[in-house]
Amino acid sequence: MNVLAWCVAAWLLGVGIYGIVTSRHYVHLIGCMTVCQSATYVLLLGIGFRWGAGPPIFYDHPPGTPAVDPVMQALVLTDIVVSASMTALLLAIALQVHKRRGTLDPQYLRPLRPRE
Amino acid sequence: MMALAHQLTPLAALLPLGVAFLLLALSHWLPPRTADVTSLIVAMGLVALCGWLALESLQGPIVHWFGAWTPAVSGKPGVILGIAFSVDPASAAVAAFCALLFAGSFVFAWGYFDKVHAHFHILMLLFLAAMIGFCLTRDLFNLFVWFELMGIAAFALTAYPLGKSSLEGAFNFTVTNALGSFLMLAGVGLLYARTGTLDFVTMGRVIASHPPDPVVAGGFCLVATALLTKAAIVPFHMWLSDAHAVAPSPVSVIFSGVMVSLGLFGLLKLVAIVFAGDPRVMMLVHVGLFWLGVSTAVVGGLMAWAQRHLKRLLAFSTIAHLGIMLIAVASVSTIGTEGFLVYLVGHGLVKGTLFMIAGILLARFNSVDEIELYGEERSLWPAGIAMGLAGLLLGGLPWGLLHDATDSVHAGSHGVAGALAIIVGTALTGAAVLRATGRIFLRWSGAPTVERIAPTEREREKGDRPLWLMLLPCVVFLAFTLLPTSLAESFVHSAATGVVSRVIPHEGGGTLAAAIMFALTILIPAASLLRRRPTRKFARGAVEAETAPFYALHVLHSGRVTDYVVWMMVGLAVLAGWLRFGW
Repeated sequence: MNVLAWCVAAWLLGVGIYGIVTSRHYVHLIGCMTVCQSATYVLLLGIGFRWGAGPPIFYDHPPGTPAVDPVMQALVLTDIVVSASMTALLLAIALQVHKRRGTLDPQYLRPLRPRE
Repeated sequence: MMALAHQLTPLAALLPLGVAFLLLALSHWLPPRTADVTSLIVAMGLVALCGWLALESLQGPIVHWFGAWTPAVSGKPGVILGIAFSVDPASAAVAAFCALLFAGSFVFAWGYFDKVHAHFHILMLLFLAAMIGFCLTRDLFNLFVWFELMGIAAFALTAYPLGKSSLEGAFNFTVTNALGSFLMLAGVGLLYARTGTLDFVTMGRVIASHPPDPVVAGGFCLVATALLTKAAIVPFHMWLSDAHAVAPSPVSVIFSGVMVSLGLFGLLKLVAIVFAGDPRVMMLVHVGLFWLGVSTAVVGGLMAWAQRHLKRLLAFSTIAHLGIMLIAVASVSTIGTEGFLVYLVGHGLVKGTLFMIAGILLARFNSVDEIELYGEERSLWPAGIAMGLAGLLLGGLPWGLLHDATDSVHAGSHGVAGALAIIVGTALTGAAVLRATGRIFLRWSGAPTVERIAPTEREREKGDRPLWLMLLPCVVFLAFTLLPTSLAESFVHSAATGVVSRVIPHEGGGTLAAAIMFALTILIPAASLLRRRPTRKFARGAVEAETAPFYALHVLHSGRVTDYVVWMMVGLAVLAGWLRFGW
């Protein structure tokens, strides 16, 4: 299980980076970033996982029953919140760029340009 | 007093956060200048609070466990449930310095953002809270959260003017730094997997007591990639010149002045506290990061010299100086840390001043292109004097904080490569600023060569603020930079010892290096400003040969975010390869 999680994480990261690097559209690029991010989630959940353990909620279990590591789940949860705002910001920027430049192709977009 | 300091520690981060939320809630009802006044008072208050904490912590670090979740609560040794702020003199002093730069920036931006209610100030206060939290925390995940918050505030502030360039610059900035923070989160996960804790000190103890572990080394690689991306070290540096050149100038003051150097400060703390027990990682830091610092100083210096857009020039100059700071960090020694801390402050003050002067030019003439502005600005002579002085300080004027700091960095780094990189980086950036000063304020022209092909753009910033108000923070910052370091020598020493207690043998000062550096800073712009347009065939050939390497550098800094990500991955591969094969 653990090896599988690591492989999936590495694969997702690789695919995401490949997508970003070859991207021809900002929105596609933002999508690829979310793929990269999913790689870290899989990695973190894989690290915190334990065979035969339940969720770390002791509402209907006696304390002391085996549970997966709650710290990792807290990490993932916090990061989902942060990343949602980041994606929203990026999409808003992409929208504004499209209004001003008329394209979203990273090949044609650069902040400052030489004269002539 | 110590008990009071314990109580007040969380306030350093909570005060700006709380005020930001209040301003956001009330922004539509508040009278126009309230946000300016409130945020200025908060920033000044934080300077006082963090400065006082720095002095208090001289007797020993102040550790505040949030919600009283001290290590004792878990009842098992080595199991830590809480999150703590740990105040040592260096961290608190850096936090106070952040607040000082914010105060200067708030004065400079007085009335700048009238149209947008208090949103600018809210973002800035969030930004400040994130920086202070980043300095004071001693929990790795907490560090990551402050790092992200710092990022988000910075991304939004860059995109703020909603111009074409600022949007694209912000996009590049966001993508590269967000990718960095994903890698950091993965690194945090790996380190937690091996050490079972997120508390710096406990992690350091666990790592030191186990044999070197590839997972720990991998975790370091990922975390270092994120911090080096924030600190714009070659080859992770591409985003900086975009973002700093297009952000509103009061924001660029913060970006260049302290945000990027905080990346290196975080790295230094992690290396010193967490990874000091792992010989492989320390080897990477001593050798690998040293060479990254050397190349950063050289590349940044060359690129700064080849710019015509003043803000972009300053951005590359920041890259060069970050390379010099990384050389200091890579020595992981007390003397190097002393140099780094003073350099951080001196560089922040000078760079803040220069960005404010660029802002003054933008406000008055809607351009920061040194060739376009040639000889226009005689009426602004006080700004010209400040800019010339700042250029001299940047280029190694043998006086003041930056000079003393460079001496310590020299002393901490052995070998010729480090000394040469420091000379090249310092002299070229100082020379570039002086060349721009000569063109803009003194009508000295010289035929432009390498800078002619550099990217540039006209832009507009709100221009009806009084000149004296914009110059006031510049003058105060320059006055601080001119203070002799000896006033605070014992404080700096104990602050550095509090972070890194490794003493290495060193000889006092590189007097010769300092002299060469300053001579070059004067001679290079003088030669450039006296140049004539090349008419003879031979002269044209010489100019072409001179321009070619710069042209190649310009092509590499393409402005495309996809290229930047490729360079980041190359950098990550270099770090990982270094760890694996250790050449």
